Amino acid sequence: MGLMTSLRQFISLAVSLTKNSLKGFNMDKLEMIKKAEQLVEKIDDLPTIPVVATQVLQLLDQPEVRIEDVADLMLSDQVMTARVMKMINSPVYKPGNEITSLKRALVYLGLKHIREVALTTSFIKAFEVDSGAFEISTFWEHSFGVGMVSKILAEKIGYADLEKAYIAGIIHDLGVVFLSNFMQDEFKRVLDAILNKPVKLVDAEAQLLGTTHCEIGLCMARKWNFPEAYCEVIAYHHSPSEATIDPVLCAIVNLSDLFCSVRELNYGGREWVSFNLFEEKAWQILKNESPSLGKLDIERFCYELDDAIPDVKELVDSIFNSKE
Amino acid sequence: MSISDKDFDQLRDFIYNICGMYFHSTKKYFLESRLARRMEATGTKTHMDYYQLLKTLKGAEELKFLMDEITTNETYFFRNVPQLNALETKLLPEIVEAKNKMGFRKLRIWSAGSSSGEEAYTLSMILLEKRATLLKDWIIEIVGTDINETVISQAKEGVYSAYSVRNIPDLYKRKYIRDEKGKFILSPEVKKFVTFNKLNLYDDSKMIFMKSFDFIFCANVLIYFDTASKSKVVQHFYNNLQPYGYFFVGQSESLHGVNDKFKTVHFPGGFTYKK
Repeated sequence: MGLMTSLRQFISLAVSLTKNSLKGFNMDKLEMIKKAEQLVEKIDDLPTIPVVATQVLQLLDQPEVRIEDVADLMLSDQVMTARVMKMINSPVYKPGNEITSLKRALVYLGLKHIREVALTTSFIKAFEVDSGAFEISTFWEHSFGVGMVSKILAEKIGYADLEKAYIAGIIHDLGVVFLSNFMQDEFKRVLDAILNKPVKLVDAEAQLLGTTHCEIGLCMARKWNFPEAYCEVIAYHHSPSEATIDPVLCAIVNLSDLFCSVRELNYGGREWVSFNLFEEKAWQILKNESPSLGKLDIERFCYELDDAIPDVKELVDSIFNSKE
Repeated sequence: MSISDKDFDQLRDFIYNICGMYFHSTKKYFLESRLARRMEATGTKTHMDYYQLLKTLKGAEELKFLMDEITTNETYFFRNVPQLNALETKLLPEIVEAKNKMGFRKLRIWSAGSSSGEEAYTLSMILLEKRATLLKDWIIEIVGTDINETVISQAKEGVYSAYSVRNIPDLYKRKYIRDEKGKFILSPEVKKFVTFNKLNLYDDSKMIFMKSFDFIFCANVLIYFDTASKSKVVQHFYNNLQPYGYFFVGQSESLHGVNDKFKTVHFPGGFTYKK
């Protein structure tokens, strides 16, 4: 690819990311996005969205789409159907009564969320086997854990769209699977460098790779046409105060990520995370949104999170074993 | 008798609200067996009867017995590994760096409710290992206090059972523990940083003299105090810390609602309170 093409692409990426405004945009971030783009472009066998999911997405783009038609189409993919059902009926994401038909599941989700659920199940399909720098199950346990905590935090602060928080939590570390699968040696070096040290993974990546899982995840999410708000979460889940579309959502996922990283949903302890909650910008953002959050029993919140871990593990296990 | 989820939740909430100790779901069977002993002792038939008893005026007394059963009242070396990891990985280097800048090379640690001394000596071993590097030329003071003179004499003696030393990593065990026919004797090196004194945490006139600590540990002690005493004692701990100091409680303990000045700092497997 020519330099100009690449440059054009990266500028258009940056421009759309900041909602057509470059004001206040961090130049380091631009450099890292550019680097991430190059890395993602280099991979020939990047997973693609399964055919049925692509068709579902196309159907959803039609002006007068009927849920029945979406359900009929999805049912032609048994694995996808099973996973959508598991995700919706999971112990951490429970509707009032168990939902047993796909159509009811889609009604429950609402048209606006079918897209993300289809994309998320596709993403799970693309990365369901161990081939990277760590066990894929620990990745998914972290991801679903962050999804669960995001939904809980969203509820606590009165965020309007709990399902959005859940899905954003699940996909926030998309870039990590890319690094683990397609840049295994480099990523292992990063992991070795931070083992048992109080250094953030994202900082070590920036230093050793010139980019991070945030920018790489952003490039992948864009390739897969994830809606813009989700792209932003992927790009800014370590720096929510820089977000422009939905900083509250970024802050929710940021804090959920931190909490999961200090309990047992931490990629098998590959990163030694520590944080002072009161110094976290995300905490400030959420407290501004909902001052009553300041009264949250944080200690109990952590202990209850410990209690929920077996549920998260069971969910991940069931999602990966729902082949029919 | 197996405890129903509803009864478990109710008892857990009660214990948490009164004592500040959280019962993880994984410890349900443990709680069940301990409750069985107390139910037998009090002649209560069902978990709900026992719960009702706890809520009466006499309940406060019974709750102490229950907490004794629950905490087993026995301590051992290297008990709270996530806490010790956090200390070694981050909190200690951070404080050492800050104090180095001020040219003040002295570290003070308090093990409050030190019992037979395992926690204080664990800390001593960890610091001793850093004597050649991080803590070169530093003055180290570890103070253990307890209200019970018997355990203080045991602590001063420094002789332990196999149970008590079972969690000590080999590296430390080889260097600092001598096995004499099943009695495990602590090396004088470890003992020299540590002093033990009798202290009642309720005694305000003594508490105000416990000054300038970098770290305070107080595990499984505050759970026995009522809310008002807890607040008072924790305020003392707060005052006794250096401006950047840390206060640690035991695993599953919580100070929520006790003191709103401390900030929680989280690390893998736990959290601590920062001044």
